[in-house]
Amino acid sequence: MNFNFPIGSVSISIEKSIEHPIAPIYSTPRIQVNETDFAMTIDGVATYRVKDGQKIWVSPHPGADRASIQLFLNGSVFGALLHQQGSIPFHGCSFEYEGKGIIICGNSGVGKSSVTAAFCQKGARFINDDITPVCLEKDGAKIVPINTKIKLWDDSLKTLEIGDKDLEKIRPEMQKFYVPFGGTNQHPVPLNTVIILSTHEDNKYKAEKLTGIEKYNLLRKNIYRKMYLRGMPLTAGRLFKNLLGIAEKIEVILVKRPHKSDIYSTMDFIQKQL
Amino acid sequence: MNKFVWLVSYPKSGNTWFRIFLANYLKDSKVPLPFDDIQNASISSSALDFEEETGLNPFELSISEVENFRPDLYRSLSLNAADDSIFKKTHDAYTYNKNGHPIFPEDISQCAVYFVRNPLDVCVSYANHSASKIEKTVAFLLNQNARAGGYKGGQLGQKLLSWDLHYKSWNEQKAIPIHTVRYEDMLQNPMETFGSIVKFLQMEYDEERLARAIINSDFKLLQKMENEKGFKERLQHCEQFFWKGAIGNYKNYLTQDQIDRIVNNCHDVMKQLGYIDSKGILTV
Repeated sequence: MNFNFPIGSVSISIEKSIEHPIAPIYSTPRIQVNETDFAMTIDGVATYRVKDGQKIWVSPHPGADRASIQLFLNGSVFGALLHQQGSIPFHGCSFEYEGKGIIICGNSGVGKSSVTAAFCQKGARFINDDITPVCLEKDGAKIVPINTKIKLWDDSLKTLEIGDKDLEKIRPEMQKFYVPFGGTNQHPVPLNTVIILSTHEDNKYKAEKLTGIEKYNLLRKNIYRKMYLRGMPLTAGRLFKNLLGIAEKIEVILVKRPHKSDIYSTMDFIQKQL
Repeated sequence: MNKFVWLVSYPKSGNTWFRIFLANYLKDSKVPLPFDDIQNASISSSALDFEEETGLNPFELSISEVENFRPDLYRSLSLNAADDSIFKKTHDAYTYNKNGHPIFPEDISQCAVYFVRNPLDVCVSYANHSASKIEKTVAFLLNQNARAGGYKGGQLGQKLLSWDLHYKSWNEQKAIPIHTVRYEDMLQNPMETFGSIVKFLQMEYDEERLARAIINSDFKLLQKMENEKGFKERLQHCEQFFWKGAIGNYKNYLTQDQIDRIVNNCHDVMKQLGYIDSKGILTV
């Protein structure tokens, strides 16, 4: 079994069984984590282990399909690798629009990918889907491009008028598909704005430019798989310190969309905020 | 440690109302607490909690995979909570996952309070809440495999079962101590009914404090607060969350055929709860 992975230079081995990390600082029945070692089990799919930000072992469970094993490898397991590497991974999709690096963050299901796809149809350059690593350099915060495709549900494909004929499903039983959106950027892109997308039961859109501690707290809330940091206190300390530096340099806008709203209206509203 | 107090009900049966009372009672507030102070006790089917604690996107898992994770989700929430008691609202029926484990594990459960309301009034209130047609809601109440949630951007999928099976599932299980109260009694005998819950939860019982919390969570007051400031749990296409709250409101909306179908299907439980008398006549 071969797997695609969002970044090169990481060794991925397939094993019959995997030993769990020694001395986890945080553990649940399915996750064990310390500063350099991480393991996760998804029943019926696989057990994964990530070590030193460089090496991944995968032990597929009997009967598991490749697509499902890859989905979690490129999601939650990749998140652990990014934390081990000291990256700042946001739970968000990113694109470059009119010269600006934008990340749309938010909870799963809020519409990050759909709105990103809509922006890309209007000329934005796609960077990352669902997970966006950010690094802090001397001249500012930068979005780090990784190799991902946008994942879209069938209803979003329909709205965006994208056919699903040749698209690969993320899991055999799910109507959610990988959609390639142009080539991947090779170089980090300066980050200008983080949109925190959420829903409310109002009929109107709302936007609020965040400042101060509220800005920092919402960025912190949107760190990808921040629960792993419960077992990585040193990494967490460094990450949150860097996050303060990022918060100073970028604009953060909280956007609330009606729970029932369409993709293009949301895109139009966000576009007006940029 | 047994931290979870499950506040259980079929939808539109007084669960939210009770949580508002509880918040006022716990704070011993002299004035009604604003909604912002009482909306934090999240629901057991929160997709956000699921992702935060399991590290997985629930919408990329099948419903049965999510159910297999749920007992450990609550164990994890229990482990990471600073408080000795965690009040958690739930609309799930008491069911088991594919691994044969109850969704709500005994080892972290303190107890449960079950709120039940005449299914005829539930039907009308639920139809208003979800902006659905009454006929569709009647079918939902009687569907033994009824589910809610599970759609992207919403809550985790929940097995509700039919109205009567929902009641039986919780009230016939033996793992979690349970105290059941009728919505109608909360409305007609609030001191006695809310007081019984305070005593069951082994909280400090203080009549003055109890009376104040009942006044601070009075239904008409909640309607007024919702009109002035809105209410987060109101769905987008529903005009008002705290709608009528009245007993017997179904008479204004249900046809005789709809009443008969609900009564015939839920007869035993309705009789057990006093919604039907010994002669088989509706008491409300």
